[in-house]
Amino acid sequence: MGKPTGFIEFSRELPPDRFEEERTLDYLEFHLTLSEEKLQNQAARCMSCGLPFCHTGVLINGMASGCPLNNLIPEWNNLVYNGLWDEALRRLLKTNNFPEFTARVCPAPCEGSCTLAMREEPVTIKQIEYAIIERGFAEGWIQPEPPELRTGKRVAVVGSGPSGLAAADELNKAGHWVTVFERADRIGGLLMYGIPNMKLDKRIVERRADLMTAEGVTFVTGTEVGKDLPASQLLTDFDAVVLCGGATRPRDIRVEGRELAGIHFAVDFLSSDTRSMLDDDIRDVGWVSARHKDVIVIGGGDTGTDCVATSLRHGCNSLVQFEILPELPPRRLPTNPWPEWPRILKLDYGQEEALSTFGKDPRVYCVQTKRFVGDNHGHVQEVHTVRVEVTKDERGGLKFTDIPGSEQRWTAQLVLLAMGFVGPEDAILGQLGVERDARSNVKAEYGKFATSVPGVFSAGDMRRGQSLVVWAIREGRDAARAVDRYLMGAAASL
Amino acid sequence: MLETDGQLRTGRDVVIAAMLGAEEFGFATAPLVTLGCTMMRVCHLDTCPVGVATQNPELRKNFTGEPEYVVNFMCFVAQETRELMAKLGFRTVEEMVGHTERLVRRRGGHPGSNGHDGYMGLQGELTVWKAQSVDLSALLARPQVPETVGGYHQKVQEHGVDQTLDHQVLIPLCEPALARGERVHAELPISNANRSVGTTLGHELTKRYGAAGLPEDTISLDLKGSAGQSFGAFVPSGITLTLEGDACDYVGKGLSGGKLIIYPPADAKFRPEENIIIGNVALYGATSGEAYVRGMAGERFCVRNSGAGAVVEAVGDHGCEYMTGGRVVILGPTGRNFAAGMSGGIAYVLDEAGDFDRRCNQDMVFLERMNEAEAEQVQAMIQKHAYYTNSDHARRVLAHWDDLAPKFVKVMPKDYKRMLEALTWIEQAGLSGERAEMAAFEANKSDVSRVSGN
Repeated sequence: MGKPTGFIEFSRELPPDRFEEERTLDYLEFHLTLSEEKLQNQAARCMSCGLPFCHTGVLINGMASGCPLNNLIPEWNNLVYNGLWDEALRRLLKTNNFPEFTARVCPAPCEGSCTLAMREEPVTIKQIEYAIIERGFAEGWIQPEPPELRTGKRVAVVGSGPSGLAAADELNKAGHWVTVFERADRIGGLLMYGIPNMKLDKRIVERRADLMTAEGVTFVTGTEVGKDLPASQLLTDFDAVVLCGGATRPRDIRVEGRELAGIHFAVDFLSSDTRSMLDDDIRDVGWVSARHKDVIVIGGGDTGTDCVATSLRHGCNSLVQFEILPELPPRRLPTNPWPEWPRILKLDYGQEEALSTFGKDPRVYCVQTKRFVGDNHGHVQEVHTVRVEVTKDERGGLKFTDIPGSEQRWTAQLVLLAMGFVGPEDAILGQLGVERDARSNVKAEYGKFATSVPGVFSAGDMRRGQSLVVWAIREGRDAARAVDRYLMGAAASL
Repeated sequence: MLETDGQLRTGRDVVIAAMLGAEEFGFATAPLVTLGCTMMRVCHLDTCPVGVATQNPELRKNFTGEPEYVVNFMCFVAQETRELMAKLGFRTVEEMVGHTERLVRRRGGHPGSNGHDGYMGLQGELTVWKAQSVDLSALLARPQVPETVGGYHQKVQEHGVDQTLDHQVLIPLCEPALARGERVHAELPISNANRSVGTTLGHELTKRYGAAGLPEDTISLDLKGSAGQSFGAFVPSGITLTLEGDACDYVGKGLSGGKLIIYPPADAKFRPEENIIIGNVALYGATSGEAYVRGMAGERFCVRNSGAGAVVEAVGDHGCEYMTGGRVVILGPTGRNFAAGMSGGIAYVLDEAGDFDRRCNQDMVFLERMNEAEAEQVQAMIQKHAYYTNSDHARRVLAHWDDLAPKFVKVMPKDYKRMLEALTWIEQAGLSGERAEMAAFEANKSDVSRVSGN
């Protein structure tokens, strides 16, 4: 361990983010960094626990506890404390293909289950991961390392999101020829077009895609398997197929007035905004502006936050974020003990920016949308809501009861629906004939990843349902292992 | 009554242990975990983040355990035990004890026999083929015994505690001292069937007078004969035991302020300073008090002594092992490996032959000479020794003090020396008492040159 008394001597310290007033003027990342000495003090806080809860990676009460990738956190903390950055990088890369992504977007279940988090503040694991990987790139320690031997086997990966990329990376390392099909014009899936630039700079994604290309992975963009290319062709042209198309069907709200103009799915709004920013500001057809508008974001999760941040950057007139569930408590409830993921109120980057711009947290709680009302031109101008009481029904599910007399009317010319995703799209799955489970995801057992069609595997949100980037990477890695076994039998190397 | 322990966590563990013959079950880790232990493995570093394995008040603030948690846990264990007993058809624990025939052994499979490469099959069977070659029959064997032999604890064992010399004779005899602090003196015979003589008497005294005890020599007992084991063990201030004869091992074990005087019979024909009159591990873990032994002690004299003073005329191997406090004077040769692990206290060894440095384990100690003040203190101890035990050898040493004082080797533990020096300058800085001690401790505990490590 780094320093046995480190957690007594040092408090948790994170670098401050860029000032909200400054950062909402651009799309650049809002993270800053700490000095090396301060980072080493933070790494010294790690106690190298005899039972390290930080990398358990299990679901407790349906929430991730500990790193789903089983990152060897105490080990690289110790190495950072001792100034052995290149060793720390190698230790990190043992378990995580893309630390540069997780260090920016992961909600950090590792910190939630850190032993220090029981009574004090957890180790700044995410910040240390960020420092290690960026140092690795800055020092040029990360170079393309194509495998020495090729197996001659060909694998198709559908979807270039985190699970597809992880699967491709691992399979390539094992020596197989991997081709990744992506229907969008750029690599990355939600990493590219879902998460806005200020949270994850797109050059970071491209940097990784270029690295993988140099290592021998073939990327085919602008090609939708199932449309531009029949799915059956994958079965004939490749020895194995991994379906990583994600859970892209957004949850909709079927109320009166839904068909009015100005009501958009968050993912469409965000992706066209990112694309426009990358294409040198050429606004494509789908691009929607929030400038001077009263914006309502329906959904209090991460995507909702991204909508809030993007709308602010457009220069919206006002901003409200509806959340149907009650406000989370400021501290863990007794029903949510360590090492579970802490269900507490967090002020995310977007809400900080809204607070700074408009003087209050944009979120309102226990709100359910009842109808949209339009103007004479078929464009939305009001949202009617009611407050709800949230209770548990007999089977433990949630029940929403309208509170009489709590109706409200909100002015809005732009409504963004950020209520999550319900499952994968049907086209390619129907063509291949893979069996679906009760939640409409691809039916494949976690750990095995094999679908009902021999030679076809599935990983990430497509199999799991909407989840975290870190789980996607985990699934991609493990699915690659399963595919490697399938292709090579006893000669598998992963 | 067989007690067992070792990772007992569930009612099932209790039932298995009982069927293997146990009737007392020890739990340590599991209840600790209910109090918040997360098995961090830093107990030895004094950084326990959950405040369990520490006295540091800052860390103790993080302690969230409650006794009720342990009670709750034990109730769950008991409930599961009852459920399993019901399944097995046992109404009481006694019915279960030793019934190994109710334990079913898991069989191992052949390599790859069910396609798994793990250790547990889907039905919980052991699939490792190696398990087949493990022979458990000795563990599960039940001896064939006649009806007259019960298979479980049925009678309370008679330890004969109320038959001891202490209970039968000494405590009634010393009643005036115990009740009113009056002086009591008596002469009694002793045999080696009398073990732990003085201990229960000392308990009665401490019960009434606490740590302060009674004034020196309030109870003074002269015993004649061969003392059994643990003569004078844990004896507190106020009791003086004089033994004319010899003693077994553990003389003065845990001595807590009392005084022990031992010398051979007046008509003994041997030279006491060359013959062993007390056994091994005398003054084991003594914390305070005095012992004067006219004769040689066995091995490990004053092992773990943390504060008593002693004078003896020669010792066997491993003298003053692990000593942490107190003052020991040895008026003659020692065995080998003296001062092994000695981290505190000081020993003064009269090295007439000049070969002590070869007999001493110098890993943790410096070998020095006494200064004048110390020489006076040592001389005073030897004078007392001569007075109490009538030792000819001590008289000779005192008669030739000017010649012999320079031949004393002062065995000074390195860590102890550093602590004493720290204490000196801290007291000069104005702190005193316990605060000074704690400050010296804090100043030294992280010092990398500490021999005993961090």
